Parts: sequence; structure tokens; C-alpha cells
Amino acid sequence: MTARKFRLSRRAVIRGAGTIAIGLPWLECMEDDVKAQAAPATAQRFVGVYQPGGTVIDKWRPSGTETAPVLGSILAPLEPVKDKIAIIDGMELKSALGEQHQAGIIALWTGAVQGVAQKYSQSKPGADNASLDQVIASRISKGKKPMASLQVAVRWATGKSHGLLHPINALSFEDTSGNAPMPPRLEPSEIWTALFGNLMPMTPAMDTALLRKRSILDFVDKRYAALGARLGSTDRVKLEDHLDKIRQIENGLAETAVPVTTACQPPTLIDTSDYNAKSGLNSSDTGSIKDTQTDQAIPKVGTLMMDMLVMALACERTAVATLQWSDTEAKHTFPWLNLSEHHHYYQHDGVFNAPACEKIAIWYSQMHLHLIQAMAAVDMGGHSLLDESVLFFGSEISQPSTHDKREMPLMLAGNGGGLRTGRYLKYPGVSHNDLLVSILNLFGDTRTTFGNAKYCNGPLTSPSLT
Amino acid sequence: MAVTPVADGSGSAGPGAFEHRGNRTLRLLGLLALTGCTSTIEGAPLGGDGTGGSLATGGTSSGTGATAGVSGRGGSGAVGGSSSATGGTTTGSGGGMSTGGTGSGGTAGETPLPHECADQASITPGRAPLRRLTKAEYNNTVRDLLGDTTAPGFAFPAELSGNGFGNDADQQPIPDVLAEGYASVAADVAARATAKLDALDSCAESVTTANEATCARTIIDKFVPKAYRRPLVAGESDEYLALFQTVRSTNTFASGIAAVLEAALQSPDFLYRVEFGTPDPENPALKRLTGPEVATRLSYLFWATTPDAELTAAAANGELATAAGVRAQAERLVADPKTRDTVRFFFEGLLPLTGLTDEARDPKQFPTFSSTIGALMLAETRAYLDYEVFDGPGTWTGILTEPYTFVNQELAAFYGLTGVTGDTFQKVPVDTTQRLGLLTQGALMTGTSVTNFTNPVRRGAFLLNQLMCRNLQVPIGLMVTPPDPYSAPTARERFSLHSKSDACAGCHSQLDPMGFPFENYDAVGLFRTTENDVTIDATGSVPDMENGDVNGPLELVQKLAQNVEVQSCFAWKWLDYGYGQTLSAENPDDVCTREALAAKFREVGFNVKALMVELTQTDGFLYLGAQP
Repeated sequence: MTARKFRLSRRAVIRGAGTIAIGLPWLECMEDDVKAQAAPATAQRFVGVYQPGGTVIDKWRPSGTETAPVLGSILAPLEPVKDKIAIIDGMELKSALGEQHQAGIIALWTGAVQGVAQKYSQSKPGADNASLDQVIASRISKGKKPMASLQVAVRWATGKSHGLLHPINALSFEDTSGNAPMPPRLEPSEIWTALFGNLMPMTPAMDTALLRKRSILDFVDKRYAALGARLGSTDRVKLEDHLDKIRQIENGLAETAVPVTTACQPPTLIDTSDYNAKSGLNSSDTGSIKDTQTDQAIPKVGTLMMDMLVMALACERTAVATLQWSDTEAKHTFPWLNLSEHHHYYQHDGVFNAPACEKIAIWYSQMHLHLIQAMAAVDMGGHSLLDESVLFFGSEISQPSTHDKREMPLMLAGNGGGLRTGRYLKYPGVSHNDLLVSILNLFGDTRTTFGNAKYCNGPLTSPSLT
Repeated sequence: MAVTPVADGSGSAGPGAFEHRGNRTLRLLGLLALTGCTSTIEGAPLGGDGTGGSLATGGTSSGTGATAGVSGRGGSGAVGGSSSATGGTTTGSGGGMSTGGTGSGGTAGETPLPHECADQASITPGRAPLRRLTKAEYNNTVRDLLGDTTAPGFAFPAELSGNGFGNDADQQPIPDVLAEGYASVAADVAARATAKLDALDSCAESVTTANEATCARTIIDKFVPKAYRRPLVAGESDEYLALFQTVRSTNTFASGIAAVLEAALQSPDFLYRVEFGTPDPENPALKRLTGPEVATRLSYLFWATTPDAELTAAAANGELATAAGVRAQAERLVADPKTRDTVRFFFEGLLPLTGLTDEARDPKQFPTFSSTIGALMLAETRAYLDYEVFDGPGTWTGILTEPYTFVNQELAAFYGLTGVTGDTFQKVPVDTTQRLGLLTQGALMTGTSVTNFTNPVRRGAFLLNQLMCRNLQVPIGLMVTPPDPYSAPTARERFSLHSKSDACAGCHSQLDPMGFPFENYDAVGLFRTTENDVTIDATGSVPDMENGDVNGPLELVQKLAQNVEVQSCFAWKWLDYGYGQTLSAENPDDVCTREALAAKFREVGFNVKALMVELTQTDGFLYLGAQP
């Protein structure tokens, strides 16, 4: 027995870790290899959640120790999943230089400094680099799943951006040369159709419809290729980019049929006709956009969005999904909390209203609980969807009264890539770019810096995420 | 004092700056360095001393200074000898104006420009990047092609604000969700259109197996050229017929026709405004636009939609081959009510109006204000501009200074005006001791205040950037923290740190004096003479303007109406909107186009509709610019 240890191939270790590491102890016989290979299986899915308007820090901050945190009032709803979260305290959005909310939302997932221009500017419409979710999507999802990534938002682009993609509301930036900001999907029923419109088994009528769709896209595809070839280089790139997206749709069609399995159970598309996803977004709108009916539907729609997002992952539609609760303007009301003014009003448009902001933040924790529990409930074959995923939850500021971006209220969840949860991690004054690069490392990306290099000191080590 | 040009791309602007903005960033940072504002900058490396020095003079006007730096030819800017007029705007700073812009072209050994704007022989068409239909244009276009009034384009994802009007050709990326949207919206539009097939062509009324291919061909030849906004070339019709037949083999006739519509509505010929041009007979090195291309430009400029039958005919007859022919059509289009929507859209991109319908204020401090009042203010400004441009005197200078406005009963009561009843907006004289023109309206004053407290910096920045085209930017690393609203009784005192600190004065010496005169309006646009029982000092000044000192908002708006930068900037904003670009002070052709249009605007007495017509008479419009 001790004479000879048989050795598993590296691939076997990775494979083993990918499927059983979470649920089972490491096989002793693999131990040497484990030490040699060090890293556990990489994370398989990424979920990003954005909550606007920061928090009330003394109500948010846990007490207790690293491994025995005691949750404050804002995080208290997460008590049932406390062992599945890692609370990140004390970090600073150092790359978020400059003006108020927008510097924060640009930096949150990019670690990049906002441009001088208030608008994205002519020659480079995006950020300085791609956002974390898109870098991860390029690595684990693009070309491997029907959709490279899924961005959804609830009550988005309210207020002064008025439906335009704007530095105050964009969170994801493409992982292509321009790093263009990406608009989220807004309409729940359209999202449902895009994700689960063709459940197995396919009927003959569905087959015919697919074939028809393919003929049209094939026609369009050829037209983009032919016309693009006749244009100057920049204009040609525009059509090539467009063609690339058409081909993504074409490829997706091949995998459109969703096999319903134990894990993949698409949510019921509830009636959301009382929710106007585009309330106030179009410049032709007149009158007040205070849309109480739509606002009243936010909890219901938000829950559906989260359920769809979870199933988009479980049904292998994509491996990267993000949810934006509104945007930095957050100009919607909370009738179910009996808060009749909009979030920004309670932050500082009126006067900083700590009890209202606390109430709102507690509600977001309740919503986040639903997401974490929904992911934990999906059995991916001996382990849960949550076990193989990393969730990143954050806001663009910490203190609403001052736009302060120190002591950021951040949180991870899930155990993908060996992320160790059930912990309260303090990183006083550490730049959040270090967290971003550490998250990337969980996905097997070994880079040591991310975002603006000036504000990144490398992966977190004390304490480490794993 | 001449402005020393700053070389483009001179060194690193530091990691904080976007590469493409390096030039401007450098200027701002240099300025801050010079004035010792580094304490508020988070370590972004600054440009060389020379850079900073150059800013000490002209650079205070920032973006405008950049113009001077690049053009380096104040003299040439003097279109038609009105050197202090357009010359002032292109040379930028007060220095340029006071010395009369004597045209020290090419100072500091600059590369000479390829041509001079004033040289009438030169054609300077600028750039012509490929434009894509905006959501609003898509809506109008399917309305006019197929009678689809559902505004389906609003299902597309958000557009970038870009040049401020959401139609910047350089800022139209194609996210996944947009490509998907083009497919699904086209399917919806096609389904609606083929539900009443005979509207596409009467042949569909009695279609049989025997004649359906012929009918399909008829519909293709009728619809696709309209969708493409040009005649089809050989083979295109056949390709569509082949698509029809492929789909028809397993679907209904209607479904086959719908497939044709869906494909056309997703094709680049429809979604993009493709221009190949044609060599100019008089100068084969240049390209003019083809008739259909001109028709398309005209139609989208004035009506934001596809050309109508008359334009299409004019294009086919060769009537659009001359500037005069283009002008004739432009005058027809501008007179049509459809142009009113375009003008409204332009102003809503220019002015801070978008958030008005959901502004909230503390009800204790502003008991009469509500978001309904905000919406009524928006309606007031819309009605005023619509009347002024189309039914009134029609000039930009008039817009800035008219002694009347439009209110209904509810809004009149809010302003304290009497004698107005009913919901309909009506023209009423304003108290000319309190208000004059656009900028003093509630919408503008509320739209430039985001909290319960006025912010003179915001108001000043709006005027400088949107009305004077100065492109002043918040420097990277500057933490913008409005002063504690309870620190002093008046805004002037609260913001006094700016003038006490040399570090801040560089920018704020322009910003604050433009904002202070508006302190006579509170955060919801109501007139006041005191704040916290202290009399408001509403003095201020228009930067770099001779005799630019003012006392109060009424003097300020009158000065602004007479200010050359304000006059020219309005024309420049129309260029950005109309051409779907951000015209650049760094592009010599763009500079010439701007100067030429500003001069025309002056010639036509600042008439807005005439300006729109003049937009069709520039080299940039009549010739095909560089296609990147």
C-alpha cells in the first residue's frame, strides 16, 4: 500500500474536483497531486448583482470574527445562507476617481477610472477595459453556451439618462477592443422567450419556424458580408461586428431547444403586464414618470428575473449572468415598503434619510437571499449550482449622504473555485481592484492585476478568498 | 495674447486619462498643476511644464482653447472679415478676441493646414462615418414604409448618448441584445404588415398557386427599394424571390412574404445609411452623393424618417445634384409640421430637460412643487420653443430673450401669474423685471438643480458647455463635493471657496460668474431676491466677453444673446445632431464647416429654420466626407 502511490493525471484531478470536490473529501490517494496542482476546480458560473445607492454602513457592518460573523440589521435576512456568503468589508473603490455615482458604477466591475468626458467619447465609446463579467464570459461562456452572457435589469435608466446608455447606468463593458458599454435586457417576457422559448420536445411547427428563421438569418448574414467588404475599414468593422452578432444568433438557434432536466426547470412566466419595463425611457414620453403601478410590481418582477437568471445557468443557456437593480439614479419608488419617494431622494436629493435607506437595503438583502437559495436548490449532480458558482454583490458607493466610496459594502457567495464562505473578511483601505483580480483567479485566470494597474496590488492574500 | 498650441498626443496623460482624451486631459491637468490644484488630484501624472504654461492664458477656456491650438490661424477664422465674430469663437480665449485674431497661423512651427477655410475654392467635407438608424428613426421609418404606428423600435436596447443626441455614428456599438431585437422586432412588424397583405400590393387579394411567385416579385420590387432607399441593383430582387420560395416551400404565402420583409428590415441597407457617392464631375477627386443618398440625408435631417415620394422622385430626376436643388427640397421639408418633432428632439438633447418629469423636492421647502409641476414646466418650454421657431420670430437670439412664455392655469398659479384658466397652454407676457426668454424658465432653472439647493456651478457648466460649446470637463480625480448647504446663507458665500482658492479658480472663474446671476431663481425656478433673508448678489459675467459683466439674470441672458460663442455654438450643436457626429475642433475640415455655418447663421439673422436649411448647403452635406 505504501510502496507505490498511483498517480492520477492532472485532467483526472481537475475533472474530479469539478464534479465531486464540493461534496466529498479529497481522496487521499490524490493528495500529492493536489499539493502539486494546488488550485481546486475553477468556478463554473459567475453571477453579478448590482444594488444602487450604497448602504447605511453601521447597520450593514457585521460584528464577530472572521469565521463567526454576527450580522447587522441590513444583512440579517441572509442569516439562513450565512455559511454560503463571504462578507467583504473595508475596501475602497480607489479606481472610482471623480464625480459621485458615475465614477463608482464605471469602476465597480472594471476597476477602471472613468473618462474625462461625462459622455462616452467619440473614438472610444467604452471604458478603459472590459468589465469582470465579460472577461469571465470570454473565458467560460462565449462560444461554449448559446449566449455569451445575460444582462438583465429591473427599473433601469430611470431619471436623467432617460433610457440612454450613459455613464450613470452602464455596468458591463464588452470584452472587445472598444469596450463598449452593454445595455441590459429589461422586458421580462422577452427575456423568458429568449431563454426558454423553445423547450424540448420540439414540435414539428417549432422545427419549421426554426428553419424559417435560419433562412432569413442566412440571407441577412450574406448581405452583411457582401456589403461590409465594400466599405472603409472602420465602417467595415461596424458591419463585421453586426455580422458576428447575427452569427451568434444563428449558432444559438442550433442549440435553441432547451432540454428540461432535473436541474433545468424553467420558471413559470407569470403575468407581468402590470410592469412597464420601459417606463420613462423614451424621449417621447410626456408627463410624470412616477409609475406607481410598475414600481409596485418590482418585487414580483425582480423575483422572476432572478429565477430566470438561475435557470439560464442551470439550463446551460449561458455561464455568466448579471442583474442590475435599477441604476445609480434609482428614481423609482418602493410602494411595498411604504416609501413613496424614489431611492435617490432618500439618499440625498431630499435629505439623507437613514431609516429609509436602511429599509431599502434590508429589502435588497431579502431579494439576494432568494437568489442564493434558488441557486443552492439546483442540483447539478451531487452538488448545487451555488457550489460551482461565484456571486458578486455590490454597490457604486458606500455612504449615500456623501458619495463616500470607502468602506464599500461588498459580498461574495458560492463556492466556485474554492471560495471559502461563511466568513467575514476585513480589508481596510484595500483597493477593490484586488478583489476583482482575485475573483478572476477563481475562474482559473491567473493574471495578477485587473483594471487600472495603479489601483491594483494583486490578488488578496490576507485573508485569501480560498 | 496668443494661445500657444499644444502638440497632439504630447506624452502620457497618465493612467487616469483615456488615451483619446489625452490631449484635453493634459490641458486640464496642466491648468490645475499651474494653479496648484494638485491637492485635489489623486496622483494623476501631469503634463510637462510647457503644457501647463500654455494654459495659463488661453487654456482657461479649455476645449475652445484646443480649437485655437490646432487651428492656429485666427485670421482664417475671420470669415468675411468679421474677425471678432467667428474669429473669436475659433480662437477661443479672450486673448484671441482682444487682439482681434490676427492670424498668427502656424505659430510655434505647427504643420500648416491643408487649406484655409476662407478659401472658397477648397471643399472641406469632413467625415462621413456610417450611420445607423436610431430607435426613433426606426419607428418613423416603419411607420412610413408599412403604416406600422406601434413604435416598435422602443423595444431595442438603450442607445449611447454620444454627441448628446443619441445619434452619434461613432458611438453605435452592436450588443447581442440589439441584433436579437432587430430580428424579433422585424418579425413582429412583418407579421403585422402581412396580416393585411393587400396593403402591400393588390395582387395579394387574389393570390393563387399559379400567380403567387409573380405577386411576390411585385411586392419585393415595390417594398425593398423603399426600404433600401435606393433602386435595387441587378440580382437583388432575385435573391429576395429565392428567399421567398425557400420559406414558402414549408410555410404559407403570407409567411413567405413576411420573411422578405424581415430580411429587408434586418439588412444593412435598411438599418444603416450606406453612402458610396459618385465622382464630382467638376472635380473627380471629390465625391458628391448620389440622388438617393442626398434624399436620405435630407429626409432624416428634417423628418427623421425615410424619404417621401416627392424626395424620391427628385432624386430620380437628378434634381438633387445641385446645391440649389437640395435647397429647394430643404425648404419644402422645413416647412412641414414633421420638422417640429425634430426641432423638439434637438432642444431636448441640448437642454437639461430630461429629468424634469421626475424631479423631487422637499415638500416642506417647496410646498407648491411636485413632479407634475416639473412636467408642466417641460410642456411650457416645449410650447415656447415650438411657437418661437415655427410661428414666432424664429431666431435663436429671440428664443433667449422673448418677454413672454406659455403656461396653463396650474403652472400659472405656481409662478404666481394670474388670469390664465384651463389646461391649455397659452402665450402670456412675463414680468420683464423677473424673466426673459428660455433660460429664465422654470424648466431650465429646475433642470439645472438636482437637489433642494441651487448649484451655480451646474448652471454655469450648462451654459458653458451646451450654449458656448466650451466642453469644460470635471478633471479626473477631482472629488466634487458641493458645499454644506447650511454653511452660509447664500450660494455665493457657500461657493466662495472657489474664488479664494487659486487651485479652483482656473475653472470656477468661468463657471461661477455664469451661475451666480441665476441665483434669483430657486431650485424650482421661482423668482427670489433673498435667500435665508439675505439679499442675493446676482452679479456675474460672461467669460472672455468685452463688457461682459452683468447684474442679474436679465442682463445675463441679454449678453448671452449677443455673445458670439453662444451664437456660433447653436449652429455647431445643430451640426453634431444633424450630421450624427461629434464635430471636432481637431479636424480642420470640421473647423471650416463650423465656421462656415456660423457665418451663415449670422447672415440669416440667427433664424433657426434657415439654419436648418443651411445645414444642407455645406461641403459636409453636399459632398461625401472621409469614410473611416
